[in-house]
Amino acid sequence: MGKAAAIGIASKVRKTGVAMTPSYRIGIDVGGTFTDIVAIDQDGVMIFLKTPTTPENQALGVVEGISKLAARLELPQKELLRRTSRIVHGTTVATNALLERKGARIALLTTSGHRDVLEMREGLKLDRYDLRSPPPAPLVPRERRLGIAERMRADGSILTPLERASLAEATRRLKEERVDGIAVCYLHSYRNDRHEKETLAYLREELPDAYVSLSSEVLPQIKEYERVSTTVVNAYVGPGLRAYFADLEHRLATSGYEGTLYIILSHGGVAPIEEASRLAAATVLSGPAGGVAGCRHVALTTGNLNLIPFDMGGTSTDISLIVAGEAALSSNRGLAGQRIAMRSLDIISIGAGGGSIARAEEGALDVGPQSAGARPGPVCYGLNGTEPTVTDANVVLGRLSADRPLPGRGTLDRAAAERAVDELAGKLGLARERTAEGIVEVINMKMADGIRLATVSRGVDPREYSLLSFGGAAGLHACDVARALDISRIFVPNFASVLSAWGMLSTPLRYEASRTHIGDTRSLCADDLRALFDDLAKVATDKIIAKAAAEIRIQRSAEMRYGEQIYEIDVPLDDLDWDAPDLMDQVSDAFRRRHEALFTYSLSGQDIVLVNARVAATSDADALPDLPASEAKRSAAPPKQGRIHLGSWRKVPIYPLDALLPGQKLAGPALIEADTTTVLLKDDDRAVVNRWGWLDIAVAAR
Amino acid sequence: MGVQKKQPASAASRKRTLDPITQTVIRHRLTSISAEMGEAMLRTSYSQILNSSRDFSVAICDDQCRLIAQADHIPVHVGALPWALKSAKETFPDPQKGDVILLNDPYYGGSHLPDVTALIPVFHSGRRLLWTIVRAHQSDIGGATHGAYNPTATEIWQEGLRIPPILLYERGRLREDILEMLAINVRHARDFRGDLAAMVGAAHLGERGLERLCDEFGASLVTEAISAVLDASESRARAIVESWADGVYTGEALLDDDGRGREDIAIRAKVTKRGGEIEVDLSASDPQTTSFVNSSHANMQSAVAMAFAFLLDADIPKNAGTFRPLSVVAKPGTLVWAKENAPVTLCTSHPSNEIIEAIIKAMAPACPERVMGGWGRRFRLAIKGQDARRDRSFIWHMFHARPGGGASAGGEGWSSIGEWHSAGGIKFGSIEVDEARFPLLFRKHEFRLASGGVGRFRGGMGVDLELIVEAKGLINTAGDGARHGAAGMLGGGDGLPHSYRLIRTDGSSRTLKTKEVGIEVGPGDLIDVRSGGGGGWGKPPRSGSHPRSAKQASP
Repeated sequence: MGKAAAIGIASKVRKTGVAMTPSYRIGIDVGGTFTDIVAIDQDGVMIFLKTPTTPENQALGVVEGISKLAARLELPQKELLRRTSRIVHGTTVATNALLERKGARIALLTTSGHRDVLEMREGLKLDRYDLRSPPPAPLVPRERRLGIAERMRADGSILTPLERASLAEATRRLKEERVDGIAVCYLHSYRNDRHEKETLAYLREELPDAYVSLSSEVLPQIKEYERVSTTVVNAYVGPGLRAYFADLEHRLATSGYEGTLYIILSHGGVAPIEEASRLAAATVLSGPAGGVAGCRHVALTTGNLNLIPFDMGGTSTDISLIVAGEAALSSNRGLAGQRIAMRSLDIISIGAGGGSIARAEEGALDVGPQSAGARPGPVCYGLNGTEPTVTDANVVLGRLSADRPLPGRGTLDRAAAERAVDELAGKLGLARERTAEGIVEVINMKMADGIRLATVSRGVDPREYSLLSFGGAAGLHACDVARALDISRIFVPNFASVLSAWGMLSTPLRYEASRTHIGDTRSLCADDLRALFDDLAKVATDKIIAKAAAEIRIQRSAEMRYGEQIYEIDVPLDDLDWDAPDLMDQVSDAFRRRHEALFTYSLSGQDIVLVNARVAATSDADALPDLPASEAKRSAAPPKQGRIHLGSWRKVPIYPLDALLPGQKLAGPALIEADTTTVLLKDDDRAVVNRWGWLDIAVAAR
Repeated sequence: MGVQKKQPASAASRKRTLDPITQTVIRHRLTSISAEMGEAMLRTSYSQILNSSRDFSVAICDDQCRLIAQADHIPVHVGALPWALKSAKETFPDPQKGDVILLNDPYYGGSHLPDVTALIPVFHSGRRLLWTIVRAHQSDIGGATHGAYNPTATEIWQEGLRIPPILLYERGRLREDILEMLAINVRHARDFRGDLAAMVGAAHLGERGLERLCDEFGASLVTEAISAVLDASESRARAIVESWADGVYTGEALLDDDGRGREDIAIRAKVTKRGGEIEVDLSASDPQTTSFVNSSHANMQSAVAMAFAFLLDADIPKNAGTFRPLSVVAKPGTLVWAKENAPVTLCTSHPSNEIIEAIIKAMAPACPERVMGGWGRRFRLAIKGQDARRDRSFIWHMFHARPGGGASAGGEGWSSIGEWHSAGGIKFGSIEVDEARFPLLFRKHEFRLASGGVGRFRGGMGVDLELIVEAKGLINTAGDGARHGAAGMLGGGDGLPHSYRLIRTDGSSRTLKTKEVGIEVGPGDLIDVRSGGGGGWGKPPRSGSHPRSAKQASP
């Protein structure tokens, strides 16, 4: 922490030629254990600290963190907040409500005759061979799903007008049931939202305190299951989130903050608090979104635009994709078994981490997906763990130094790790070191396979990407995982733990507007399409203008498919000549090119259907200043020497990352120890320290 | 040789020379390669039946036709692919690198005609070691009716194009005349070509992965690891089987009819369980019929394997080792193993469902905690007609109104989830999308209350669907389960059977039978579907008011 804080201090000294009152922006990332706070001043100087997370009310920890920050800067808190232009916050309030099923008591109003869309789940079940697990309970039980007499047709015309008596009867039930939130999702409301709007007006009168979510506002898109599920999640997490934001805003205001509080959303953009409060379901990936946004910033900063962020933690490894400098988004996600069809960062979790447990199964070794988690954790943590984990194997092999304290954990118990590995080695009939190496080999293979599968299914060839290694456990495994994937380059930033908070501050303001326009491209004329997108662009820009006067970037895209397909693909439409008379042909061509890139083929002469038109408006005006270069320290200190096992016990140099000089070259085998991770270079792996003090590794071929 | 019996392989005495770490690495790589093949199919296939309904499977087999790894999409194909490989190898005993073998014939290792299988031999150092196999259900395969489900068929030629094992590619060269001959015989040549390209592509992807694996570890180590993997799966499966009570058990399940007046056609399973061995004998099943409810041999083998897999643990690998404790006895000429040239198209749903149910029923006393109530039957419905509003013809296949699943010791059954053979693997499409694309109005699509069988745990509910057809058209049906509901287990009640009716604008109505063609439907007519519920598990509580079942009675 102290080390991280030093990143920019030196450069601050360098730049103090111009006298200027510093102004700040503050990023706040609330994690499970710690709340990370990052402040960056107008010169790009960064200050970082951690404070314990307060699960009962995350706002307490946030405010505590800000007062610690003020103390660190030797400023009164009011003065710090007065000088703060922007606070960006990543929160897990909605995430936890969903994961722990502690959301609001809600009801669902649906078109009469269609109460069970939510519980039917499109007839799908994840594990087709598990016929003995009961179905999951839906977020709204059947008795609180109420049919309303009304019906729209697919073309938006009214088949049955909204019946007041039916709504009145339902409202009486809602009052009896004492619900806090109400989701409203009628069929075809993406086409005509009149009945939903009328319902909202009625509910506002009758139940003024209830949190009401309309599907036509939350996700105005065709496909009722996705829309109803997303709207229900929104109503489920919305009331708690709204209360949390109100409390936090109040606390910050009374502490002197007058600016806007921004929330980072699941799609990686930020939005002001009132918008995040309304689209509560869009915050369920707010936590990890900061990390991905940070990785995107790394891609732009390094000019290495195709990156696979590789975040290996204790129980899982999260990967995502940065393609051409943009974080990959997906509409096919959910959380805790709930479908959320809003666009969000495409973060893929692989059940392998430092805490993954190794065991003998039918005489063979297997590792994971069971994990020792935080408690008891690996055996070497000395918290009564007995089963050997990946971390224990690394300790046995000397790759994790037992003398070096881990943050918040004290030193590691090497003898205990050895005992646990020995016991497993006995069952397998192998030597201790071979067993430990085997554990590492198996987990590396699982991570590499997980990455390969995730990239293949997204039409991406991992060999064209670089790996961005962060997360505590990543450094020891990154080279081998990259090697298995034929990835030749890895970046290891020196401030991995603040990546998330930093990412939030680098994130542009972003609004999205979308509309379903199901129809084949031949029946749509260029003027209609231009009008549709102009309309959406206006909706998105109007919202952003209210917050940022600066230059606004518009991105147009459409979800399209061939007539008989069911999966739409996202087709970027920005590079077209929008004024040309052949616009529709260009759109079709863009679709075919994209289809071919993803799936190796395209088909001529087939109907192409445009399902959703989408416009994103972003404002980059408030961009972060450049990252200050790493300060040239004294001459490079000679490395320590240590013994680690790499096929046999060998003597290798051990470098502290923060003592390395920009331009310094390292050759494997070597260990590089940083604050939060240790990096292993094997034979023929080479690294160079870049201008910011990060490792830029050239991976040896396999 | 009418009776066929598989000898359990002796596994106990094999000497372990393989490092347990290498074994694990190779096992995971094999699984991961098959998963990649499946993922590629899902993403690149063209027709809806593949990319939405996932009616395909991929597998890796060795040259001894042993199933090594299979990607699970829907259970109906489990264990079926080695039979296709056996047949392919009989026809082409010496395939070359670059060959792609294609087949669909049920009398040459296929299940039914719409399921087309592509097989690619994988070589290493000039030696044939492994095979990658992709099977996919085609949206049409020619024949008398669209989509091959032809209740009027009396012989297989009326069901579609028969493909014995043929070479689609010979040493890497596409035989274009053969492809043209196939494509001209199906109704959607474009879909067919697209899906075939996706199948061959996925099989080649698997081939590449396996070649890399052999490069890395050497062919002999890979072969050795495969044997060890199969042995490990075998001992895991045997350990489960050994925990069941020894004995000879019988179970029976009934098909409604053959569509020609022959009713209550019985599948009879005699299951002998002794130690770690289990023998399923279906020879007492009723004789084959003249209609498409007969099963092919490979499909019968697959249905038995599916039933066995359902009784094991969900995560046990589906490979040849796992199925070693199982042997199957059946008799040609019975419903479960039709003699050459009989029609068989319905078999992957019926009698597959009844074969599974008869076996599970038999096993109920042996392993009550593992058996589950019956899952609903499949009752297909397709409407073909002219959409005046959009001025085009249309064909709509109903995947909605899925029946309920069976209850088990784990709790109540899943509602609206499907049949034994798909078990939640088939997604029904969006109502909004269907209304936007077809002249249809879904007036109601909700759980069918009280349709799940009673029990200590209730079976899952079927669905009430009220569908208004807004055009002129013809309805075809294909299925079963309108008279016999999904069986209750261990004192649980049966689920309600299906009930499909057509109610015309003039108020007249008729029942839709399970095997009909060409029923006229006009604008405004209502199709009233009530799909069956799942079977209950265990005796119902005496008072009848059970908290877990309460919702089936709520309004």
